[in-house]
Amino acid sequence: MAVELTENQQLAAINADYEERYGFRDAENYLYKAPKGLNREIVEKISEFKSEPQWMREFRLKALDHFLSRPQPTWGSPLMAEVDYDNIHYFVRASEKAGRSWDDVPEDVKRTFDRLGIPEAERKFLSGVGAQYESEVVYHQVREDLEKQGVIFKDMDSGLREHEDIIRDYFATVIPPNDNKLAALNSAVWSGGSFVYVPEGVHVEMPLQAYFRINTENMGQFERTLIIAEPGSYVHYVEGCTAPTYSSSSLHSAVVELIAKPGARIRYTTVQNWSTNVFNLVTKRAVAHEDATVEWVDCNLGSRLTMKYPSVYLVGERAHGEILSIAFAGKGQHQDAGGKIIHAAPNTTSNIFAKSISKDGGRGSYRGLLEIAKGAHGARSKVVCDALLLDEHSRSDTYPTIRIGEDDVNVGHEATVSKVGDDQLFYLMSHGIPEDEASKLIVNGFIEPITKELPMEYAVEMNRLIELQMEGSIG
Amino acid sequence: MPQVIEVCPLNELEPGEMRLVEWEDLEIGVFNCAGTVYAIEDRCSHDNGTLVEGTLDEENCTIECPRHGSLFDLKTGKPKTLPAYVPVDTYPVIIEDEKIKLEVE
Repeated sequence: MAVELTENQQLAAINADYEERYGFRDAENYLYKAPKGLNREIVEKISEFKSEPQWMREFRLKALDHFLSRPQPTWGSPLMAEVDYDNIHYFVRASEKAGRSWDDVPEDVKRTFDRLGIPEAERKFLSGVGAQYESEVVYHQVREDLEKQGVIFKDMDSGLREHEDIIRDYFATVIPPNDNKLAALNSAVWSGGSFVYVPEGVHVEMPLQAYFRINTENMGQFERTLIIAEPGSYVHYVEGCTAPTYSSSSLHSAVVELIAKPGARIRYTTVQNWSTNVFNLVTKRAVAHEDATVEWVDCNLGSRLTMKYPSVYLVGERAHGEILSIAFAGKGQHQDAGGKIIHAAPNTTSNIFAKSISKDGGRGSYRGLLEIAKGAHGARSKVVCDALLLDEHSRSDTYPTIRIGEDDVNVGHEATVSKVGDDQLFYLMSHGIPEDEASKLIVNGFIEPITKELPMEYAVEMNRLIELQMEGSIG
Repeated sequence: MPQVIEVCPLNELEPGEMRLVEWEDLEIGVFNCAGTVYAIEDRCSHDNGTLVEGTLDEENCTIECPRHGSLFDLKTGKPKTLPAYVPVDTYPVIIEDEKIKLEVE
Protein backbone atom coordinates (compact mmCIF):
# COMPACT_ATOMS: atom_id res chain seq x y z
CA MET A 1 0.00 0.00 0.00
CA ALA A 2 2.80 2.34 0.95
CA VAL A 3 4.50 1.61 -2.38
CA GLU A 4 1.30 2.45 -4.31
CA LEU A 5 1.01 5.79 -2.58
CA THR A 6 4.54 6.69 -3.44
CA GLU A 7 3.95 5.77 -7.05
CA ASN A 8 0.82 7.87 -7.22
CA GLN A 9 2.69 10.80 -5.80
CA GLN A 10 5.44 10.29 -8.31
CA LEU A 11 2.96 10.08 -11.18
CA ALA A 12 1.35 13.31 -10.06
CA ALA A 13 4.78 14.88 -9.92
CA ILE A 14 5.46 14.01 -13.57
CA ASN A 15 2.46 15.95 -14.83
CA ALA A 16 3.22 18.84 -12.55
CA ASP A 17 6.70 19.00 -13.96
CA TYR A 18 5.64 19.18 -17.63
CA GLU A 19 3.16 21.94 -16.80
CA GLU A 20 5.74 23.89 -14.91
CA ARG A 21 8.70 23.37 -17.22
CA TYR A 22 7.03 23.33 -20.62
CA GLY A 23 3.25 23.25 -20.30
CA PHE A 24 2.68 26.86 -19.26
CA ARG A 25 0.82 29.15 -21.66
CA ASP A 26 1.06 32.85 -22.37
CA ALA A 27 -1.78 35.31 -22.89
CA GLU A 28 -2.44 35.77 -26.60
CA ASN A 29 -1.29 39.17 -27.68
CA TYR A 30 -0.90 38.62 -31.38
CA LEU A 31 -0.52 40.87 -34.38
CA TYR A 32 -2.51 38.44 -36.51
CA LYS A 33 -4.24 35.13 -35.98
CA ALA A 34 -5.83 33.41 -38.99
CA PRO A 35 -9.32 32.01 -38.50
CA LYS A 36 -9.50 28.21 -38.29
CA GLY A 37 -9.46 26.20 -41.49
CA LEU A 38 -7.52 26.27 -44.73
CA ASN A 39 -8.41 27.77 -48.08
CA ARG A 40 -6.85 29.70 -50.95
CA GLU A 41 -7.44 33.01 -49.19
CA ILE A 42 -5.40 31.98 -46.12
CA VAL A 43 -2.52 30.79 -48.30
CA GLU A 44 -2.55 34.04 -50.28
CA LYS A 45 -2.67 36.00 -47.04
CA ILE A 46 0.43 34.22 -45.68
CA SER A 47 2.31 34.92 -48.89
CA GLU A 48 1.18 38.55 -48.86
CA PHE A 49 2.22 39.01 -45.22
CA LYS A 50 5.68 37.82 -46.11
CA SER A 51 5.91 39.90 -49.33
CA GLU A 52 7.08 36.85 -51.19
CA PRO A 53 8.14 36.58 -54.82
CA GLN A 54 5.50 35.41 -57.27
CA TRP A 55 7.11 31.99 -57.78
CA MET A 56 6.76 31.15 -54.09
CA ARG A 57 3.14 32.26 -54.07
CA GLU A 58 2.45 29.99 -57.06
CA PHE A 59 4.38 27.16 -55.37
CA ARG A 60 2.15 27.48 -52.31
CA LEU A 61 -1.10 27.54 -54.27
CA LYS A 62 -0.14 24.52 -56.34
CA ALA A 63 0.81 22.68 -53.13
CA LEU A 64 -2.58 23.56 -51.66
CA ASP A 65 -4.26 21.86 -54.65
CA HIS A 66 -2.09 18.77 -54.03
CA PHE A 67 -3.05 18.79 -50.34
CA LEU A 68 -6.76 19.13 -51.01
CA SER A 69 -6.80 16.44 -53.70
CA ARG A 70 -4.88 13.83 -51.71
CA PRO A 71 -6.74 11.51 -49.33
CA GLN A 72 -5.74 11.33 -45.68
CA PRO A 73 -3.20 8.51 -45.31
CA THR A 74 -4.77 5.44 -43.76
CA TRP A 75 -1.57 3.51 -43.10
CA GLY A 76 0.53 4.05 -40.02
CA SER A 77 -1.72 4.83 -37.11
CA PRO A 78 -5.47 4.75 -36.48
CA LEU A 79 -4.94 8.03 -34.62
CA MET A 80 -4.54 9.73 -38.03
CA ALA A 81 -8.35 9.69 -38.24
CA GLU A 82 -8.42 12.16 -35.32
CA VAL A 83 -6.57 14.89 -37.23
CA ASP A 84 -9.12 17.63 -37.98
CA TYR A 85 -7.64 20.00 -40.57
CA ASP A 86 -10.63 22.35 -40.26
CA ASN A 87 -10.03 22.94 -36.57
CA ILE A 88 -6.54 24.43 -36.90
CA HIS A 89 -5.21 27.98 -37.04
CA TYR A 90 -2.75 27.91 -39.93
CA PHE A 91 -0.94 31.14 -39.25
CA VAL A 92 -0.31 33.18 -36.11
CA ARG A 93 2.03 36.16 -36.04
CA ALA A 94 3.38 37.07 -32.63
CA SER A 95 6.05 39.63 -33.50
CA GLU A 96 6.83 42.17 -36.21
CA LYS A 97 10.18 40.68 -37.20
CA ALA A 98 12.89 38.31 -36.03
CA GLY A 99 15.10 40.14 -33.55
CA ARG A 100 18.87 39.78 -33.46
CA SER A 101 18.96 40.67 -29.80
CA TRP A 102 16.81 39.17 -27.07
CA ASP A 103 15.86 42.76 -26.22
CA ASP A 104 14.00 43.01 -29.54
CA VAL A 105 11.77 40.07 -28.69
CA PRO A 106 8.34 40.93 -27.20
CA GLU A 107 8.50 40.73 -23.41
CA ASP A 108 6.05 37.84 -22.89
CA VAL A 109 7.63 35.75 -25.65
CA LYS A 110 11.10 36.42 -24.27
CA ARG A 111 9.93 35.28 -20.85
CA THR A 112 8.82 32.01 -22.40
CA PHE A 113 12.24 31.33 -23.88
CA ASP A 114 13.89 32.44 -20.65
CA ARG A 115 11.87 29.83 -18.81
CA LEU A 116 12.92 27.23 -21.36
CA GLY A 117 16.55 28.19 -20.83
CA ILE A 118 17.32 29.14 -24.45
CA PRO A 119 19.32 32.37 -24.05
CA GLU A 120 21.41 30.69 -21.36
CA ALA A 121 22.17 27.73 -23.63
CA GLU A 122 23.13 30.11 -26.41
CA ARG A 123 25.70 31.82 -24.25
CA LYS A 124 27.16 28.55 -23.06
CA PHE A 125 27.56 26.20 -25.96
CA LEU A 126 25.90 27.18 -29.21
CA SER A 127 27.11 28.75 -32.44
CA GLY A 128 23.73 30.20 -33.22
CA VAL A 129 20.12 30.13 -32.11
CA GLY A 130 16.75 30.46 -33.76
CA ALA A 131 13.59 30.64 -31.66
CA GLN A 132 10.24 30.14 -33.33
CA TYR A 133 7.06 31.13 -31.50
CA GLU A 134 3.85 30.02 -33.24
CA SER A 135 4.27 30.58 -36.99
CA GLU A 136 7.34 32.76 -37.09
CA VAL A 137 10.85 33.07 -35.79
CA VAL A 138 11.10 35.78 -33.12
CA TYR A 139 14.83 35.64 -32.51
CA HIS A 140 17.78 34.69 -34.64
CA GLN A 141 21.47 35.05 -34.06
CA VAL A 142 24.66 33.46 -35.28
CA ARG A 143 28.18 33.98 -34.00
CA GLU A 144 29.98 36.77 -35.80
CA ASP A 145 33.08 34.76 -36.65
CA LEU A 146 30.94 32.20 -38.48
CA GLU A 147 29.10 34.93 -40.34
CA LYS A 148 32.47 36.27 -41.46
CA GLN A 149 33.35 32.86 -42.84
CA GLY A 150 30.20 32.98 -44.94
CA VAL A 151 27.99 30.75 -42.82
CA ILE A 152 24.34 31.66 -43.26
CA PHE A 153 21.94 30.80 -40.44
CA LYS A 154 18.63 32.57 -40.92
CA ASP A 155 15.01 31.93 -40.36
CA MET A 156 13.59 30.67 -43.66
CA ASP A 157 11.51 33.79 -44.29
CA SER A 158 14.55 36.05 -44.06
CA GLY A 159 16.56 33.47 -46.02
CA LEU A 160 14.11 33.72 -48.90
CA ARG A 161 14.25 37.52 -48.84
CA GLU A 162 18.02 37.78 -48.64
CA HIS A 163 19.22 34.68 -50.52
CA GLU A 164 16.46 33.98 -53.00
CA ASP A 165 18.89 32.76 -55.66
CA ILE A 166 20.25 29.94 -53.46
CA ILE A 167 16.85 28.98 -52.11
CA ARG A 168 15.24 28.85 -55.52
CA ASP A 169 17.91 26.37 -56.67
CA TYR A 170 17.44 23.94 -53.76
CA PHE A 171 14.02 24.48 -52.18
CA ALA A 172 11.75 21.41 -52.55
CA THR A 173 14.33 19.49 -54.59
CA VAL A 174 14.67 16.91 -51.83
CA ILE A 175 11.00 16.85 -50.79
CA PRO A 176 8.70 18.00 -53.57
CA PRO A 177 5.33 19.48 -52.52
CA ASN A 178 3.49 16.48 -53.91
CA ASP A 179 5.65 13.95 -52.03
CA ASN A 180 2.85 13.22 -49.57
CA LYS A 181 -0.23 14.93 -48.12
CA LEU A 182 1.59 16.45 -45.17
CA ALA A 183 4.49 17.71 -47.28
CA ALA A 184 1.89 19.33 -49.55
CA LEU A 185 0.27 20.97 -46.52
CA ASN A 186 3.60 22.30 -45.30
CA SER A 187 4.48 23.55 -48.79
CA ALA A 188 1.21 25.49 -48.92
CA VAL A 189 1.41 27.16 -45.52
CA TRP A 190 5.07 26.93 -44.47
CA SER A 191 6.32 29.65 -42.17
CA GLY A 192 9.54 29.94 -40.20
CA GLY A 193 12.11 27.20 -39.85
CA SER A 194 15.80 27.59 -40.61
CA PHE A 195 17.95 28.20 -43.63
CA VAL A 196 21.53 27.07 -43.12
CA TYR A 197 24.30 27.42 -45.67
CA VAL A 198 27.84 26.32 -44.86
CA PRO A 199 30.52 27.32 -47.42
CA GLU A 200 33.11 24.90 -48.74
CA GLY A 201 35.53 23.60 -46.14
CA VAL A 202 34.01 25.48 -43.18
CA HIS A 203 33.52 23.49 -39.98
CA VAL A 204 30.92 24.85 -37.57
CA GLU A 205 32.31 23.30 -34.40
CA MET A 206 29.52 24.13 -31.96
CA PRO A 207 25.91 23.27 -32.78
CA LEU A 208 23.35 25.60 -34.28
CA GLN A 209 20.07 25.30 -32.46
CA ALA A 210 16.45 26.02 -33.24
CA TYR A 211 13.74 25.93 -30.64
CA PHE A 212 10.09 25.60 -31.63
CA ARG A 213 7.30 26.64 -29.36
CA ILE A 214 3.54 26.41 -29.87
CA ASN A 215 1.45 28.50 -27.47
CA THR A 216 -2.05 28.75 -28.99
CA GLU A 217 -4.68 26.03 -28.72
CA ASN A 218 -5.49 24.33 -32.05
CA MET A 219 -2.37 25.82 -33.59
CA GLY A 220 -0.65 24.45 -36.66
CA GLN A 221 3.09 24.96 -36.87
CA PHE A 222 4.63 24.36 -40.29
CA GLU A 223 8.27 25.28 -40.26
CA ARG A 224 10.47 24.63 -43.24
CA THR A 225 14.17 23.93 -42.90
CA LEU A 226 16.82 23.70 -45.59
CA ILE A 227 20.46 22.95 -44.82
CA ILE A 228 23.10 23.05 -47.54
CA ALA A 229 26.62 21.90 -46.67
CA GLU A 230 29.10 22.71 -49.43
CA PRO A 231 32.01 20.29 -50.16
CA GLY A 232 34.12 19.37 -47.14
CA SER A 233 32.08 21.37 -44.66
CA TYR A 234 30.52 20.28 -41.35
CA VAL A 235 27.54 21.43 -39.36
CA HIS A 236 25.52 20.10 -36.44
CA TYR A 237 21.96 21.39 -36.15
CA VAL A 238 19.88 20.72 -33.05
CA GLU A 239 16.18 21.30 -32.64
CA GLY A 240 13.87 21.07 -29.65
CA CYS A 241 10.17 21.65 -29.24
CA THR A 242 7.50 21.95 -26.54
CA ALA A 243 3.93 23.19 -26.17
CA PRO A 244 1.33 23.77 -23.48
CA THR A 245 -1.07 20.93 -22.78
CA TYR A 246 -4.56 21.55 -24.13
CA SER A 247 -7.56 19.30 -24.28
CA SER A 248 -7.91 19.66 -28.06
CA SER A 249 -5.30 19.00 -30.72
CA SER A 250 -2.59 21.00 -32.34
CA LEU A 251 -0.68 20.02 -35.46
CA HIS A 252 3.01 20.21 -36.18
CA SER A 253 4.01 19.36 -39.71
CA ALA A 254 7.52 20.33 -40.71
CA VAL A 255 9.52 19.69 -43.84
CA VAL A 256 13.29 19.38 -43.45
CA GLU A 257 15.64 19.06 -46.42
CA LEU A 258 19.38 18.42 -46.06
CA ILE A 259 21.92 18.53 -48.87
CA ALA A 260 25.42 17.27 -48.12
CA LYS A 261 27.75 17.97 -51.04
CA PRO A 262 30.87 15.84 -51.68
CA GLY A 263 32.85 15.19 -48.51
CA ALA A 264 30.48 17.26 -46.33
CA ARG A 265 28.95 16.08 -43.07
CA ILE A 266 25.62 17.12 -41.57
CA ARG A 267 24.36 15.95 -38.22
CA TYR A 268 20.76 16.78 -37.37
CA THR A 269 19.58 16.16 -33.82
CA THR A 270 15.99 16.40 -32.65
CA VAL A 271 14.70 16.22 -29.10
CA GLN A 272 10.93 16.21 -29.63
CA ASN A 273 8.97 16.80 -26.46
CA TRP A 274 5.61 18.16 -27.63
CA SER A 275 2.73 17.97 -25.18
CA THR A 276 0.48 14.97 -25.66
CA ASN A 277 -2.21 16.87 -27.58
CA VAL A 278 0.10 17.56 -30.55
CA PHE A 279 0.03 15.55 -33.77
CA ASN A 280 3.58 15.51 -35.04
CA LEU A 281 3.63 14.57 -38.73
CA VAL A 282 6.96 15.47 -40.22
CA THR A 283 8.85 14.78 -43.46
CA LYS A 284 12.65 14.78 -43.16
CA ARG A 285 14.94 13.78 -45.97
CA ALA A 286 18.58 14.19 -46.85
CA VAL A 287 20.71 13.67 -49.90
CA ALA A 288 24.36 12.70 -49.48
CA HIS A 289 26.74 13.10 -52.38
CA GLU A 290 30.13 11.44 -52.91
CA ASP A 291 32.01 10.81 -49.64
CA ALA A 292 29.42 12.83 -47.70
CA THR A 293 27.88 11.80 -44.38
CA VAL A 294 24.43 12.56 -43.03
CA GLU A 295 23.41 11.59 -39.51
CA TRP A 296 19.92 11.91 -38.06
CA VAL A 297 19.70 11.63 -34.27
CA ASP A 298 16.00 11.57 -33.60
CA CYS A 299 14.55 11.42 -30.08
CA ASN A 300 10.79 11.36 -29.74
CA LEU A 301 9.33 11.68 -26.27
CA GLY A 302 6.22 13.78 -26.56
CA SER A 303 3.17 14.23 -28.84
CA ARG A 304 -0.07 12.28 -29.17
CA LEU A 305 1.08 10.75 -32.44
CA THR A 306 4.41 11.07 -34.17
CA MET A 307 4.89 9.77 -37.68
CA LYS A 308 8.42 10.52 -38.75
CA TYR A 309 10.96 8.55 -40.78
CA PRO A 310 14.08 10.61 -41.48
CA SER A 311 15.68 9.37 -44.66
CA VAL A 312 18.99 9.57 -46.44
CA TYR A 313 19.51 9.12 -50.18
CA LEU A 314 23.09 8.07 -50.71
CA VAL A 315 23.54 9.26 -54.28
CA GLY A 316 27.34 9.56 -54.43
CA GLU A 317 29.96 6.86 -54.17
CA ARG A 318 31.12 6.07 -50.58
CA ALA A 319 28.44 8.29 -49.03
CA HIS A 320 27.41 7.30 -45.50
CA GLY A 321 24.06 7.57 -43.77
CA GLU A 322 23.29 7.07 -40.12
CA ILE A 323 19.94 7.11 -38.32
CA LEU A 324 19.75 6.85 -34.56
CA SER A 325 16.21 6.88 -33.28
CA ILE A 326 14.74 6.74 -29.78
CA ALA A 327 11.00 6.69 -29.22
CA PHE A 328 9.33 6.74 -25.85
CA ALA A 329 5.58 6.00 -25.90
CA GLY A 330 3.64 6.62 -22.71
CA LYS A 331 -0.08 6.62 -21.94
CA GLY A 332 -2.21 7.52 -24.97
CA GLN A 333 0.81 8.02 -27.20
CA HIS A 334 1.80 6.39 -30.46
CA GLN A 335 5.36 6.88 -31.64
CA ASP A 336 5.54 5.64 -35.22
CA ALA A 337 9.18 6.34 -35.95
CA GLY A 338 12.08 4.83 -37.79
CA GLY A 339 14.12 5.75 -40.84
CA LYS A 340 14.86 5.14 -44.48
CA ILE A 341 18.16 4.70 -46.26
CA ILE A 342 18.46 4.44 -50.02
CA HIS A 343 21.77 3.23 -51.39
CA ALA A 344 21.80 4.67 -54.90
CA ALA A 345 25.56 4.52 -55.52
CA PRO A 346 28.39 1.98 -55.16
CA ASN A 347 30.30 1.40 -51.91
CA THR A 348 27.85 3.40 -49.82
CA THR A 349 27.38 2.50 -46.17
CA SER A 350 24.66 2.99 -43.59
CA ASN A 351 23.44 2.16 -40.11
CA ILE A 352 20.00 2.43 -38.58
CA PHE A 353 19.76 1.96 -34.83
CA ALA A 354 16.23 2.35 -33.49
CA LYS A 355 15.15 1.90 -29.89
CA SER A 356 11.62 2.16 -28.61
CA ILE A 357 10.28 2.03 -25.08
CA SER A 358 6.57 1.59 -24.42
CA LYS A 359 4.81 1.95 -21.09
CA ASP A 360 1.33 2.57 -19.62
CA GLY A 361 -0.42 1.32 -22.76
CA GLY A 362 1.70 3.40 -25.15
CA ARG A 363 2.55 2.11 -28.60
CA GLY A 364 5.97 2.26 -30.20
CA SER A 365 6.40 1.32 -33.85
CA TYR A 366 9.52 1.00 -35.91
CA ARG A 367 8.88 1.59 -39.60
CA GLY A 368 11.89 1.48 -41.86
CA LEU A 369 13.09 1.10 -45.39
CA LEU A 370 16.45 -0.07 -46.57
CA GLU A 371 16.84 0.00 -50.32
CA ILE A 372 19.87 -0.95 -52.36
CA ALA A 373 19.49 0.07 -55.98
CA LYS A 374 20.78 -1.88 -58.92
CA GLY A 375 24.35 -0.82 -59.50
CA ALA A 376 25.05 0.08 -55.86
CA HIS A 377 27.59 -2.73 -55.58
CA GLY A 378 29.70 -2.97 -52.47
CA ALA A 379 26.99 -1.32 -50.36
CA ARG A 380 26.97 -2.21 -46.68
CA SER A 381 24.19 -1.64 -44.18
CA LYS A 382 23.20 -2.67 -40.72
CA VAL A 383 19.72 -2.20 -39.26
CA VAL A 384 19.08 -2.86 -35.59
CA CYS A 385 15.74 -2.18 -33.97
CA ASP A 386 15.11 -2.99 -30.35
CA ALA A 387 11.93 -2.54 -28.38
CA LEU A 388 11.53 -2.54 -24.63
CA LEU A 389 8.08 -3.10 -23.11
CA LEU A 390 7.63 -1.99 -19.54
CA ASP A 391 4.23 -3.53 -18.89
CA GLU A 392 1.66 -5.90 -20.37
CA HIS A 393 -0.65 -3.17 -21.69
CA SER A 394 1.91 -1.57 -23.97
CA ARG A 395 2.59 -2.44 -27.55
CA SER A 396 5.50 -2.60 -29.94
CA ASP A 397 5.41 -3.19 -33.70
CA THR A 398 8.15 -3.50 -36.26
CA TYR A 399 7.57 -2.84 -39.96
CA PRO A 400 10.90 -3.23 -41.71
CA THR A 401 11.11 -3.18 -45.50
CA ILE A 402 14.28 -4.27 -47.24
CA ARG A 403 14.69 -4.11 -51.02
CA ILE A 404 17.93 -5.29 -52.51
CA GLY A 405 18.61 -4.90 -56.23
CA GLU A 406 22.30 -5.84 -56.27
CA ASP A 407 24.17 -9.07 -55.46
CA ASP A 408 27.47 -7.82 -54.15
CA VAL A 409 26.22 -6.18 -50.94
CA ASN A 410 26.29 -6.79 -47.21
CA VAL A 411 23.07 -6.19 -45.30
CA GLY A 412 22.29 -7.09 -41.72
CA HIS A 413 19.01 -6.76 -39.90
CA GLU A 414 18.42 -7.49 -36.23
CA ALA A 415 15.31 -6.91 -34.20
CA THR A 416 14.57 -7.66 -30.55
CA VAL A 417 11.63 -7.12 -28.26
CA SER A 418 12.23 -7.45 -24.55
CA LYS A 419 10.67 -6.77 -21.21
CA VAL A 420 12.44 -5.37 -18.20
CA GLY A 421 13.20 -8.81 -16.84
CA ASP A 422 12.66 -9.89 -13.26
CA ASP A 423 16.14 -11.43 -13.27
CA GLN A 424 17.75 -8.13 -14.34
CA LEU A 425 15.84 -6.28 -11.61
CA PHE A 426 16.67 -8.95 -9.05
CA TYR A 427 20.37 -8.76 -9.92
CA LEU A 428 20.51 -4.99 -9.42
CA MET A 429 18.30 -5.06 -6.32
CA SER A 430 20.49 -7.72 -4.78
CA HIS A 431 23.25 -5.10 -4.96
CA GLY A 432 21.19 -2.73 -2.86
CA ILE A 433 19.66 -0.66 -5.68
CA PRO A 434 15.98 0.16 -5.12
CA GLU A 435 13.53 -1.21 -7.68
CA ASP A 436 12.66 2.07 -9.43
CA GLU A 437 16.34 3.03 -9.65
CA ALA A 438 17.14 -0.40 -11.07
CA SER A 439 14.46 0.00 -13.70
CA LYS A 440 15.77 3.42 -14.72
CA LEU A 441 19.27 1.99 -14.98
CA ILE A 442 18.05 -0.73 -17.30
CA VAL A 443 16.22 1.77 -19.51
CA ASN A 444 19.16 4.16 -19.56
CA GLY A 445 21.44 1.28 -20.48
CA PHE A 446 19.01 0.37 -23.27
CA ILE A 447 19.12 3.82 -24.87
CA GLU A 448 22.72 4.64 -23.99
CA PRO A 449 24.13 3.79 -27.45
CA ILE A 450 22.06 6.69 -28.77
CA THR A 451 22.20 9.23 -25.95
CA LYS A 452 25.99 9.01 -26.01
CA GLU A 453 25.79 10.50 -29.52
CA LEU A 454 24.00 13.61 -28.23
CA PRO A 455 25.93 16.72 -27.19
CA MET A 456 26.46 16.41 -23.45
CA GLU A 457 23.90 19.06 -22.49
CA TYR A 458 21.21 17.24 -24.46
CA ALA A 459 22.23 13.82 -23.23
CA VAL A 460 21.76 15.06 -19.68
CA GLU A 461 18.36 16.52 -20.58
CA MET A 462 17.37 13.36 -22.41
CA ASN A 463 18.27 11.16 -19.45
CA ARG A 464 16.34 13.50 -17.15
CA LEU A 465 13.26 13.32 -19.39
CA ILE A 466 13.47 9.56 -19.61
CA GLU A 467 13.79 9.33 -15.85
CA LEU A 468 10.72 11.51 -15.46
CA GLN A 469 8.75 9.34 -17.82
CA MET A 470 9.98 6.29 -15.99
CA GLU A 471 9.00 7.35 -12.50
CA GLY A 472 6.18 5.34 -11.06
CA SER A 473 6.41 2.79 -13.79
CA ILE A 474 7.17 -0.15 -11.54
CA GLY A 475 4.25 -1.89 -9.99
CA MET B 1 17.57 -3.76 -84.08
CA PRO B 2 16.43 -0.14 -83.82
CA GLN B 3 13.16 0.55 -85.53
CA VAL B 4 11.40 3.80 -86.44
CA ILE B 5 7.74 4.14 -85.49
CA GLU B 6 5.35 6.90 -86.46
CA VAL B 7 3.55 8.78 -83.68
CA CYS B 8 1.35 11.43 -85.32
CA PRO B 9 1.47 14.48 -87.57
CA LEU B 10 3.44 17.28 -85.92
CA ASN B 11 0.43 19.61 -85.90
CA GLU B 12 -1.49 17.13 -83.74
CA LEU B 13 0.89 17.64 -80.83
CA GLU B 14 0.94 21.35 -80.14
CA PRO B 15 3.48 23.00 -77.80
CA GLY B 16 2.52 22.15 -74.21
CA GLU B 17 0.80 18.91 -75.25
CA MET B 18 1.84 15.34 -74.50
CA ARG B 19 0.63 11.91 -75.36
CA LEU B 20 1.23 8.26 -74.64
CA VAL B 21 2.58 5.91 -77.31
CA GLU B 22 2.49 2.17 -76.84
CA TRP B 23 4.74 -0.07 -78.87
CA GLU B 24 5.16 -3.76 -78.06
CA ASP B 25 5.77 -3.74 -74.31
CA LEU B 26 7.02 -0.14 -74.22
CA GLU B 27 5.04 2.83 -72.96
CA ILE B 28 6.55 6.11 -74.12
CA GLY B 29 5.57 9.66 -73.25
CA VAL B 30 5.94 12.12 -76.14
CA PHE B 31 6.08 15.80 -75.16
CA ASN B 32 6.07 18.99 -77.19
CA CYS B 33 8.09 21.35 -75.05
CA ALA B 34 7.89 24.86 -76.53
CA GLY B 35 8.20 23.51 -80.06
CA THR B 36 10.78 20.78 -79.46
CA VAL B 37 9.55 17.21 -79.19
CA TYR B 38 11.01 14.79 -76.62
CA ALA B 39 10.23 11.18 -75.81
CA ILE B 40 10.92 9.38 -72.52
CA GLU B 41 9.80 6.21 -70.84
CA ASP B 42 6.33 6.85 -69.41
CA ARG B 43 7.04 5.39 -65.99
CA CYS B 44 8.41 7.20 -62.98
CA SER B 45 11.40 5.24 -61.71
CA HIS B 46 10.28 5.85 -58.11
CA ASP B 47 6.78 4.43 -58.00
CA ASN B 48 5.66 3.74 -61.59
CA GLY B 49 3.63 6.95 -61.95
CA THR B 50 2.38 7.73 -65.46
CA LEU B 51 4.38 10.77 -66.49
CA VAL B 52 2.07 11.89 -69.33
CA GLU B 53 -0.56 12.56 -66.66
CA GLY B 54 1.81 14.96 -64.91
CA THR B 55 2.51 18.66 -65.30
CA LEU B 56 4.73 19.80 -68.17
CA ASP B 57 7.00 22.77 -67.48
CA GLU B 58 7.92 24.14 -70.90
CA GLU B 59 10.28 26.76 -69.51
CA ASN B 60 12.49 24.26 -67.70
CA CYS B 61 11.73 21.33 -69.99
CA THR B 62 10.60 19.01 -67.19
CA ILE B 63 7.69 16.74 -66.45
CA GLU B 64 6.42 16.36 -62.88
CA CYS B 65 5.30 12.90 -61.83
CA PRO B 66 1.70 13.16 -60.62
CA ARG B 67 2.24 10.58 -57.87
CA HIS B 68 4.99 12.06 -55.67
CA GLY B 69 6.23 15.09 -57.52
CA SER B 70 9.64 14.06 -58.91
CA LEU B 71 10.70 16.28 -61.79
CA PHE B 72 12.28 14.59 -64.81
CA ASP B 73 14.46 16.36 -67.36
CA LEU B 74 12.86 15.61 -70.72
CA LYS B 75 16.19 15.97 -72.54
CA THR B 76 18.12 13.44 -70.45
CA GLY B 77 15.49 11.41 -68.56
CA LYS B 78 17.32 12.22 -65.32
CA PRO B 79 15.32 13.09 -62.19
CA LYS B 80 15.98 16.66 -61.02
CA THR B 81 14.31 16.13 -57.64
CA LEU B 82 13.80 13.23 -55.26
CA PRO B 83 12.15 10.87 -54.43
CA ALA B 84 13.09 9.38 -57.84
CA TYR B 85 16.83 8.90 -58.29
CA VAL B 86 17.11 6.55 -61.27
CA PRO B 87 16.92 8.04 -64.80
CA VAL B 88 14.20 6.87 -67.15
CA ASP B 89 14.93 5.80 -70.75
CA THR B 90 14.92 8.39 -73.50
CA TYR B 91 14.10 7.79 -77.18
CA PRO B 92 15.45 9.67 -80.20
CA VAL B 93 12.77 11.79 -81.90
CA ILE B 94 12.78 12.26 -85.67
CA ILE B 95 10.64 14.92 -87.35
CA GLU B 96 10.21 13.87 -90.97
CA ASP B 97 7.59 14.97 -93.50
CA GLU B 98 5.85 16.99 -90.77
CA LYS B 99 5.41 13.80 -88.78
CA ILE B 100 6.73 12.81 -85.34
CA LYS B 101 8.62 9.55 -85.37
CA LEU B 102 10.51 7.68 -82.65
CA GLU B 103 13.47 5.37 -82.79
CA VAL B 104 12.80 2.38 -80.56
CA GLU B 105 14.44 -0.93 -79.88
